[in-house]
Amino acid sequence: MCCNDDLTERDLEPRVEIPLYLENIKGMKFFDPHVHMTSRTTDDYQAMADAGVVALIEPAFWLGQPRTGVATFQDYYSSLIGWERFRSSQFGIKHYCTIGLNSREANNVALAEQVMEILPLFIYKEGVVGVGEIGFDDQTPAEERFYREQLLLAKEASLPVQIHTPHRDKKKGTQRSMDIAIDCGLAPGMVIVDHNNEETVEEVLDRGFWAAFTIYPFTKMGNERMVEVVKKYGAERIMINSAADWGISDPLAVPKTAALMKQHGISDEMIQLVTYKNAITAFAQSGQLNESDFNTVQPIDQSQKFQGNTILRGGQQPRVNKDSLIIK
Amino acid sequence: MYTYDKNQLQSKLADYIGARVPADAWQWLQEKATLVTKDSKQFHIAFAAASRKLGKQAVVLTAEEQTGLQQIRKQLTVTGWAIDRLCRVWLLLQLNSEDEDNYVQTIERLFPAAEMNELVALYSALPLLAYPQRWRARCAEGIRNNIADVLEAIMCDNPYPSEQLDEAAWNQLVLKAIFTEKPLQKVIGLIERSNETLANSLTDYAHERWAAHRKVLPLLWQCVGRFINAHNFADIQRIALSTDAREREAAALACQQSTYAPAQELLKTNTLLQQLVNRGITWQEIAEKLQRNS
Repeated sequence: MCCNDDLTERDLEPRVEIPLYLENIKGMKFFDPHVHMTSRTTDDYQAMADAGVVALIEPAFWLGQPRTGVATFQDYYSSLIGWERFRSSQFGIKHYCTIGLNSREANNVALAEQVMEILPLFIYKEGVVGVGEIGFDDQTPAEERFYREQLLLAKEASLPVQIHTPHRDKKKGTQRSMDIAIDCGLAPGMVIVDHNNEETVEEVLDRGFWAAFTIYPFTKMGNERMVEVVKKYGAERIMINSAADWGISDPLAVPKTAALMKQHGISDEMIQLVTYKNAITAFAQSGQLNESDFNTVQPIDQSQKFQGNTILRGGQQPRVNKDSLIIK
Repeated sequence: MYTYDKNQLQSKLADYIGARVPADAWQWLQEKATLVTKDSKQFHIAFAAASRKLGKQAVVLTAEEQTGLQQIRKQLTVTGWAIDRLCRVWLLLQLNSEDEDNYVQTIERLFPAAEMNELVALYSALPLLAYPQRWRARCAEGIRNNIADVLEAIMCDNPYPSEQLDEAAWNQLVLKAIFTEKPLQKVIGLIERSNETLANSLTDYAHERWAAHRKVLPLLWQCVGRFINAHNFADIQRIALSTDAREREAAALACQQSTYAPAQELLKTNTLLQQLVNRGITWQEIAEKLQRNS
C-alpha cells in the first residue's frame, strides 16, 4: 500500500458532519432502483453511501444526444456491466443494471435494428436484473415495434422489464404500455412501470403491475406529493427512485423521501418497503440480485483490516475533506 | 499450438470442478462443453451464463492438487479463484483450435462485450490458450484497463505476461502494478524481466513521488538493483540512509543484486546493510512486513 500510507481508519469512515435530515433515517438502508450513475460524480457516490444507499440499479437510457453507431451502444452497455459497476463498488455500493434500447433512439430504425442484434449478448450477463428502460416517448410506430421486440426478449430470458412512461400524453402512454406488455404475454408482476404520478398510479396497481415513482425536481414527482401517495395507496408494489442523471436531479431523493415520510408519521415498515424491499422483490425475479450481496454490514475494524486489506478494502476510495483548502 | 499438455490439464481440471459443483450444474457444464466445439453461439451463451449456473464460491485446492496442475502447466495457480472463473477457463479449453484464425476470432469476440468477471476469466486464461503469441496485443490492451480485479488477473500469479510480452508492454505492466498498488510479489518474472529502461522509469517515478512528499514503495527497487549506475546510485544511497526500515532493507538487497562497484562498496562499508544481507533478508520478507503494517 505505497500510496495510501497516510490513510487511517478515520479517513475511510463516513464524515461526522451530516445534514439534519439524515439523523431521522440513521441506520436505514436504501435501494435506488433507477439512477444513471454514469452521469454523476464521485461526490454523489459518497453522499449516497453516507445516506444509507447500499445498492442501486442503473437502467440503460439515452445520453442526452442521439448515438450514431452501434459500437457506441456496445461500449455503453459494456460500461454499465464493467467500469461503472467497479466505480460504484469503490464506494461500497452494489451496482446492478438493466439493459435495453430506450424509446427515443428506437426512432432511428436502421440503428435500432443493429442494437437489437447485440442486446442478447448483454441481457444474460451477471448482474443484469432486467430489460430496461424501454417503452414510449413520442409514441410512434417505431417505438412500439422495438418495445414489443424487447418485451419478447425479456420473456424469453425470464427477466423483469423496467418501463419508462412518456412525459407527454402520460396517462394514455402508460395504459398503452401495460396493454402491450399483456398482449406480449408478460405477467404484470414481472413489469415495473416507472415515472408514475397521481393520475396513473391507481390503474397500474389495480392491474397488478409494480408502480415506481421518480422523485425528480420540477418535471416529475416532488417528495411531499409522494408522502401523500403512500398515505393513500399504502406500500404494496410501490417503490421510489431518483432517476438522477445529467439533468438537475437529486441522487439522494430516496433517503430524503424516507426522512420526509418518517416526519409525516409513516411507519418504518412501510418506508422500508417503498425505499428498499419492494424494488428488491421485483428485480430479484431476475435471479441476478441477491440481498446478501449488500445487506451484510462490513464493520470497519482493525482485525478486518489486518487480515484482508487488499481483498476487502483494496478498491475502496480514501475520503477527502471537502472543506479543506489544502489538496494533498 | 499449445505449450503444455492441454488434454491432461483439461481432464485434471474436470476432476477438480466435478468434485466442487452440484451434480446438476456439472451436468449443465458438460453438456455445454460438447456443444461449444460445434457452435460458437452456444459457446458465447455458456460463457456468459456460467456464473448463473455455477455460483462463485472460492476454489481451494490441496497442496497436492496445486502441484499436479503446475506439473502440467508451470506456474499455473487457480487457488482462490471463484468457481465460475475456473469453469469459464475450462470452457475455453474445449474450443477446437485446429483452425488458428477461427479459434482466435471466437475468443477475441468475447472481450468487447465481457463484463468484469468475464474479463477476469479471459485474462486468467491467457497462459492456457493455444497460439500464445497471438494474445500479446490483447494482453497489452488489458493492462490499460482500470478495473482492479481485471488488472490483478493479468498482473498477479499469471505467467503469460513475462513469457510473452515485449519489453515496452512488460514495463507498462510493472509501472501500472506499482501505480495501482498491486501486490508486487505476485508478479511472475518481476526480477528476471527487469531491464534498464524500466529501471530508469522507476527511478524517475521515485523522484516524482519524493518531490511530492509521498512515499515510494520499497519493493520497487528490486527492479532497479541489477541496473544501479552512476546516474541512479544517489537514490540507493538515499534509501540506504532512510529512517524507514523497509527502505534500508530494500537498499541492502538492491546492492546485493548489483555489479556496480560503488554499490558493492556501500554494502561492504555500511554495517547495517551488511547485517541485513548476512541475516538473509528477502524481498518476500519485505513484502510481508509491508502487508502487515499497511
